Amino acid sequence: MLALVAAGLLAAACGNGETILNAGNEPATTLPVEAPATLPPVDTLAPGDTLAPGETVPPDDTRPPSTTLPPPTTTTIPLADLAECPVDALDEGSGTVELTLWHGLNAESETALTKLTDAYNASQSEVRVELQNQGNYSQTIDKYVQSSQGSRPDVVIFPEYVVQQTADSDSVIPVAACVEESGYDTSTFQPSTLTAYSTAGVQWGMPLGVSNPVLYYNKLVFEAAGLDPEIPPRSLDEVRQFSQQIVDSGAASYGIAVDSGTDSGGGWFLEQWLANEGELYADNGNGRLAPATRVLYDQPPGVELLTYVQQLITDGLAFNVGDNAGGTDTFFKLADESAPAAMTIGTSAALGTVIAALGGGLIPGLTVDDIGVGAMPGPGPTPTALVGGNALFIVKDKGDEKAAAAWDYITYAVSPEAQSQYVTDTGYAPVRADALDVEPALSKYASDPRFRVAYDQLIASPDDPALQGPILGPQREVRGVTARAVAEIFNGGDVQAALSAAATQANLLIADYAARN
Amino acid sequence: MATENINFESPRGWRLAGRYMLLAVVTAVVLFPVYTTVIAALKPGDKVLQNPLVPDAFTLDGFSDAWTAGHLDRYLLNSFVVATVITIVQLVTSVVSAYAFAMLDFPGRGVLFVVFLATLLVPFEATLVVNRRTVDSLGWLNSYQGLAVPFLATAFGTFLMRQVFLGMPLDLRDAAAIDGVGHLGFLRHVGIPLVRPTLGALALFSFLGSWNQYLWPNLITTEDDMNTVQSGLRLLRSSALDEPNLLMAATIIAAIPIVVVLLLFQRQLVRGLTAGAVKG
Repeated sequence: MLALVAAGLLAAACGNGETILNAGNEPATTLPVEAPATLPPVDTLAPGDTLAPGETVPPDDTRPPSTTLPPPTTTTIPLADLAECPVDALDEGSGTVELTLWHGLNAESETALTKLTDAYNASQSEVRVELQNQGNYSQTIDKYVQSSQGSRPDVVIFPEYVVQQTADSDSVIPVAACVEESGYDTSTFQPSTLTAYSTAGVQWGMPLGVSNPVLYYNKLVFEAAGLDPEIPPRSLDEVRQFSQQIVDSGAASYGIAVDSGTDSGGGWFLEQWLANEGELYADNGNGRLAPATRVLYDQPPGVELLTYVQQLITDGLAFNVGDNAGGTDTFFKLADESAPAAMTIGTSAALGTVIAALGGGLIPGLTVDDIGVGAMPGPGPTPTALVGGNALFIVKDKGDEKAAAAWDYITYAVSPEAQSQYVTDTGYAPVRADALDVEPALSKYASDPRFRVAYDQLIASPDDPALQGPILGPQREVRGVTARAVAEIFNGGDVQAALSAAATQANLLIADYAARN
Repeated sequence: MATENINFESPRGWRLAGRYMLLAVVTAVVLFPVYTTVIAALKPGDKVLQNPLVPDAFTLDGFSDAWTAGHLDRYLLNSFVVATVITIVQLVTSVVSAYAFAMLDFPGRGVLFVVFLATLLVPFEATLVVNRRTVDSLGWLNSYQGLAVPFLATAFGTFLMRQVFLGMPLDLRDAAAIDGVGHLGFLRHVGIPLVRPTLGALALFSFLGSWNQYLWPNLITTEDDMNTVQSGLRLLRSSALDEPNLLMAATIIAAIPIVVVLLLFQRQLVRGLTAGAVKG
């Protein structure tokens, strides 16, 4: 009886997209970043916006980009036109420079950032960095956008999907200026991580940690279902097969837990999956050759993809936890005593937190070693991943000393030693390869292969500019409308209709953004 | 609760029994989340998800961790300062403006009062962005001024107090005037003592309202030290993602002051809800 009540409670909590952890707290309240009051009239939209559902677009848009794409020279901004980076100003200053840094990291990721920053503060006496947690990425972005330049912090950590918006806000010193000014060597960095934070050939932020979605799965369930616990599925087709076997054997109630969260199953994963298939998410080479004018996920590849996932839910192989606002619902579904799922897809950045929670005995009957991590299964035969995660941005107009101090902190944070520690504590992949040559990551990657999954799939992904994921001005808002469509689809709605409606809204957002910037 | 013998012989008895049954069910539904919160708060971290409804382990670690790691002491202080300032100033502005609207005759009084009331129709969310910009340009982010100033006057308070003053005989005011007492003197010696019950209700509403504010403090606070309890709880939720017992304990600590205030001032609250319903 009690178990029944508990199951009902958990199911109810999940249905709201709230975990028992967040019960009683409001979900993240986000404000519109820019007043969307001035949507342009329909007749000024780009021609693509009025496509009827199912209507085909010119083939060059839907086909994977060929290797003969023109380099994005037309939109490159000369560095000289942007804010300068006075990297030497620190030496002239006297006393300690105080820096404030806004971030939205949680749990073990926050602990690791604090550790890194404390170590930096202790390592020298010229700069002191104070971390200020703003709750989550959304809140950080909102507060940053709403604040006057004077009220903004000196350094801010943003996720990759606001790069275009940050660049357009003209409020930061491009990191590229600091790299050039100081002659900083980025040759050991993963090229794709630098590209992820660049627009029009200018690198705006310095990546701090790279995360991408990985598959978390319960090895005990795999064993019980007669599957090899060391071999996770590598494609959505295999996810389906594995799930069928798991459900049929009774090892778990569901194969995989899915969600429609903005920064997970509803938005981010779709970007990942389309790239995995070699399909574009938005036109103009995902917005990397020229600003995108419309999204393409309502075309056949996107429709097929989401129909496939919807079918998993309809067939009882996948369980939809809803909008997953706290980011923990999918994980808890793995630990649901009455109707567990065997697998879920989540950000690799959560690995440290998952391990800490399991190590602390949070989940009865599940130990640290029972959770396996595999590459993100997608529609294609082999897993690939786009660069996710976050980067450090230097806010401009704070004075030369602060800019120089911020650059000093950044060079520390991305040093091989600091990166090595950071990835060991969190599950992020390092932004530079040589971080793996030093301890503690050197032994961590050797002893616990789960930590290197995100890194391996990152370096295995093709280095094609147009396949590095979409870069849109209103990307966060576009993800928002996309996630609502995915939620509708996961609840049994018509796939094409939901995606077409979302695409129309997304295109309006893009057109509106273009009109304002 | 007084025990009452239910007579099952009569239909009235059955009705009574049914009513209590219904009340019991509703009470159980309402108290269930409170029960689970308390249970989770009192368990050690590794037992919270194990038999979540059974109190099979007991520790106060969650509370001490929430207090120290969660900075709840600082958050509670901030909430207390802000709620107190808002309450006191709201009482003053409400009484003074209500007195003017009710007992003074000046041109445009009716129109002005309607305009005043119209502000009740503008939800706070509508002015949120503008208010934030204003507070930002005043340099009041992360300050008590920023947290309190936008709420120092309320049309609701003015309306409530005006109703009470309208029920007060004008003869009182005239008599006071003959004795040479000014407006403020009248308020101090006659007006306020007479409206004290309603004032108490208004104070309670103001305090509860400002204590429970979430959106505004969340928006204008970027430094940990200036968080109120509500925005602080949110931060704690993020950083203690994997410690449900600590979160539940923090929730309880945050709720205690409100529960105490409610228990102490229950009568005023009920009176406040009915005040103004009947003129006079």
